[in-house]
Amino acid sequence: MKAFAYINPANEKEAVAALSPQVEQSMPLGGGQDLLARMKDYVTQPERLVNVKTALESTVTPVGGGLRIGAAMKMADVAEHPEILRMYPAISAAAIEVGTPQIRNQATVGGNLNQRPRCWYYRNEEFVCFKKGGDRCFSPQGENQFHAILGAGPSFIVHPSSLAVPMLAYGATFRLAGPKGERLVPAANYFTLPRQSLRMENVLAPDELLTHVILPAPGNVKSGHYEVRYKASHDWPIAFATVLIAMNGSVVKEAKVVMGAVAPVPWRSAEAEQALVGKSITEATAAAAAEAAMKNARPLSQNGYKVDVAKTAVKRAILRAAGIQTA
Amino acid sequence: MANSEFDWPAKPSLVGTRVNRVDGPDKVTGRAKYTFDINRPGMLYARMVRSPYPHARVVSVDLAPALRMPGVKTALLVRDFANSKNNRVMFQGDEIAAVAADTEEHAMDAARAVKVEYEVLPHVTIVERALDGTAPAVFNGGNVRDARPAQAGDLTAGFAAAAKVVEGTYSTQVITHTCMESHGTVCEWSGDRLTAWISTQGVSGARENFASALGIPQANVRVLCQYMGGGFGSKALSVGAEGLMCAKLAKAANAPVKLMLDRKEEHLATGNRPSAESKIKAGVSADGTITAFEAESWGTGGAGATSDFPLPYLYQSKNRSRTHKNVFTNTGQQRPMRAPGHPQGSFHTEIIMDELADQVNMDPIQFRIKNLPPEAPNAMWRSYLLEGAAEFGWSKRHATGDKTPGPIKTGMGVSINTWGGGGRGPSPAHCEITSDGGVIMRLGTQDIGTGTRTLVATITADALGLRASQVRPEIGDTAFGVSALSGGSTTAASISPGIRVAAVKALDALKEKVAPALGVPAASLIASGGRIHVENEPGKGMSWADACKQIGPQPITADGDWRAGMSSSTTSGAQFAEVAVDIETGIVKVKRILVLQDCGLVVSRLTAESQVYGGVIGSLNFALFEDRILDRNTGQMLNPNMEWYLLAGMSDIPRIDVRLKDQPERGVIGLGEPPTVATAAAIALAVRNATGVTMRSLPLTPAKVLGAMRQTRA
Ligand SMILES: Cc1cc2nc3c(=O)[nH]c(=O)nc-3n(C[C@H](O)[C@H](O)[C@H](O)COP(=O)(O)OP(=O)(O)OC[C@H]3O[C@@H](n4cnc5c(N)ncnc54)[C@H](O)[C@@H]3O)c2cc1C
Ligand code: SF4
Repeated sequence: MKAFAYINPANEKEAVAALSPQVEQSMPLGGGQDLLARMKDYVTQPERLVNVKTALESTVTPVGGGLRIGAAMKMADVAEHPEILRMYPAISAAAIEVGTPQIRNQATVGGNLNQRPRCWYYRNEEFVCFKKGGDRCFSPQGENQFHAILGAGPSFIVHPSSLAVPMLAYGATFRLAGPKGERLVPAANYFTLPRQSLRMENVLAPDELLTHVILPAPGNVKSGHYEVRYKASHDWPIAFATVLIAMNGSVVKEAKVVMGAVAPVPWRSAEAEQALVGKSITEATAAAAAEAAMKNARPLSQNGYKVDVAKTAVKRAILRAAGIQTA
Repeated sequence: MANSEFDWPAKPSLVGTRVNRVDGPDKVTGRAKYTFDINRPGMLYARMVRSPYPHARVVSVDLAPALRMPGVKTALLVRDFANSKNNRVMFQGDEIAAVAADTEEHAMDAARAVKVEYEVLPHVTIVERALDGTAPAVFNGGNVRDARPAQAGDLTAGFAAAAKVVEGTYSTQVITHTCMESHGTVCEWSGDRLTAWISTQGVSGARENFASALGIPQANVRVLCQYMGGGFGSKALSVGAEGLMCAKLAKAANAPVKLMLDRKEEHLATGNRPSAESKIKAGVSADGTITAFEAESWGTGGAGATSDFPLPYLYQSKNRSRTHKNVFTNTGQQRPMRAPGHPQGSFHTEIIMDELADQVNMDPIQFRIKNLPPEAPNAMWRSYLLEGAAEFGWSKRHATGDKTPGPIKTGMGVSINTWGGGGRGPSPAHCEITSDGGVIMRLGTQDIGTGTRTLVATITADALGLRASQVRPEIGDTAFGVSALSGGSTTAASISPGIRVAAVKALDALKEKVAPALGVPAASLIASGGRIHVENEPGKGMSWADACKQIGPQPITADGDWRAGMSSSTTSGAQFAEVAVDIETGIVKVKRILVLQDCGLVVSRLTAESQVYGGVIGSLNFALFEDRILDRNTGQMLNPNMEWYLLAGMSDIPRIDVRLKDQPERGVIGLGEPPTVATAAAIALAVRNATGVTMRSLPLTPAKVLGAMRQTRA
């Protein structure tokens, strides 16, 4: 690991001041579960780390019928928070499945949302790809069994954050603080596709911090969250989905279908949502919506199976939202 | 063989019972010191410099920039690349140099500062491309070597006699040993004498290895390995380039040096299980006899290493032929890995067995029984298959393909195994009984994690009528005498006889001391329940403590060695698996495993069962998770970590029931390897039984399971 300076700011303002506009020069440190591992592997080599765990809030505050979550909150605390569970059960469900208990006890909300891709080309220093300032992507011609099937190119990563998916579904807004003050960015506009910005996965500037997640009142929705994981723990989902539905009698009035681990961003599927509206939820309508969600899937040489897996995740999340027993 | 007083006791007090690990408290409290934990005054830390390329010519190496780094004491080349014909690196991770510094961090930085100029050469890492000739010829003499073919009977006649013929291509992947403790060494010189603490499966072999490579007398080398975190074969055959570099750096720096490898180096350069692929064509007669078995196989053991494995495995066919090709690739060399060859042979054979059984509408167990060699103490499969079937509920197994509605399909599979595990000498043991009642059993073996100390204490205490905790086992040091390497499941069978002989002789000497005080002949005395007393008259004797007071200042000492008749070789076992497969995700969950396994006389029941648990879990990993993934273009490994190199966690491990089939009359036989042979095939067959789709390739990833089902539907 390259030697680095360590700064321990007391508050948000000091923390922002300690950052630098230069990419990967001075970096916020949350639980370090991602960043320290990248540093040990010589993938990211900052000059300076700015600890944000004490500078930023780690609590949950009620606001306008919704909740505001501090970016320094631990994943373990998110998973166990009774108000989050009551109002946004899909967020609790996503948080509890992340990594391992050890990881969840360290990892923070800000770090989880801003963690970098797990693409194995990115993570091995031998491969200098687009994400590291190189001039190519190794995955389409290489080993791509865990890569994206939707919205990808020229990089084919899947977005790694589990929290991002239900947060997008619930209409979260992120509060960012930078040298010029604060800005509020809806989650739907926060994450960016590689064709918009190849090097980074979101609109956060190197001298900005994500300080809060602001969740609007959930409204009268039912939620379902389903993750397909090969191993029961210490593993990444192959595909997962959060589904929110508002009912009008026995038929769906409004639906939100957001998928994870299938695209370079948390992927909202308007096709699946349209397929549900006006229908009552059955195994058949759920399967049809899942089919619609994958209509535009473009698998690579080795990740075709992810289309099936993602369909299953969407279908089962829909059924769960409707309270129907699934495998 | 004539009875002898050294024979295993007919009614043992401790042998065969469930004795807790005597070093358990030391391990859980951290008092047990592994090589990684050894720290010496003034010790330096070293790191290796390795090739990032699978194949390259080393044009030049400049150590100077590393030597200028903070804290660096010395740096050495693995060999003189400039003046050697041997100036190529043959796999990613191949050794170039090593650097020693005052801290581990400084050593890491310095290793990266070594300037190596490479001429990158074309590489071959894809087996198919080596075979079809589209890969560049990398190895002198060609990338592909034919192994000796084997043939028996008349294949044409065999196929003519077949009612049905099955053909298939089967494959198993390269996996790495992934020991919890990485390979590593601490070396310290005193003049021309070397003391080496090394994570090794054989301290005696390591001593020979250091001495011959360094050109010093073996008598000048002392090797210690008190505790080690797994080897599985990867720490058996040599001290490795890193071990030698550690010794050389320590000499050059005139200071003790610690050199431990990291996880990436472990995956790249410390051995693996070779890949295995085969094309098999087999014929079966209407009555379920295999009439012909024709197999072509190939596999890669890496850069210049072989990949052979037994095929067919255990089942018989009068008419058979087998060819094998060793494919050399620019990847780390294979090393023996827990039951070398058997897991591959088992998988390739057992899968086609169920395919054949279905062709003639036979139950897999009946079909296996029909084609097994005759039953014998070292070939008990028939009995174990039937007994296991009854316990497992095999009668509830449905025919191929679970017809119940819904996405979750369940199924059962079965598979069998064998292994040698015989003992051999010399394997001396030395026993001391002191006047304060202490008992030391000292021998030069090592504990590779299997629980050897517990075995030593159990046998000794059993002979002396004591509790295991009253014995001090002393092992893991070449100063304690020669001992064989712990490989091939030979340790228990090699060391147990000598331990018992030494303990019995020491007891005889103690009886001689005690007899006059009791006024009885020594021959009338026995040791039991912590007392020395006249047989059948417990009152006529004295406590162990009082008995030892008769010894005087000079302790009793006695030596024993391995004796024929107290150990034997060759085990058999059968394993049953039940799985649930989610056919909409391709995910396999193993629900339960039943193991029937013999190992002759069970000496230490808990550690024996622990070997079975570990073997089953290792094989489950082989079946579902582990896979060395190389980038097809650059040949570099993509998952040299524990994130994408998947291993089962607690919640992925099912209930495992172990039935040890005692055969005390056969003496001690090793058990480390056989339990890891059969599980993978049993799981794959259970998946076949659940889904109706034959899985011919490991690991059974969701991609493969869904792919196979899609192919079958099409
Ligand atoms: C085996 C394994 C399995 C895993 N499985 C999952 C999974 O299923 N789902 C999942 O979501 N994650 C998973 N993880 C990843 C883990 O959850 C993340 O690494 C962790 O959440 C990161 O949080 P952290 O606080 O430790 O981030 P850090 O490592 O501290 O930071 C991560 C990145 O975010 C930046 N950052 C941190 N805080 C802020 C902030 N407030 N504002 C702006 N930038 C910030 C840092 O500079 C850094 O670049 C897994 C990890 C492992 C090793
Ligand atoms: S998918 Fe993205 S991170 Fe992976 S190699 Fe391609 S550009 Fe790099």
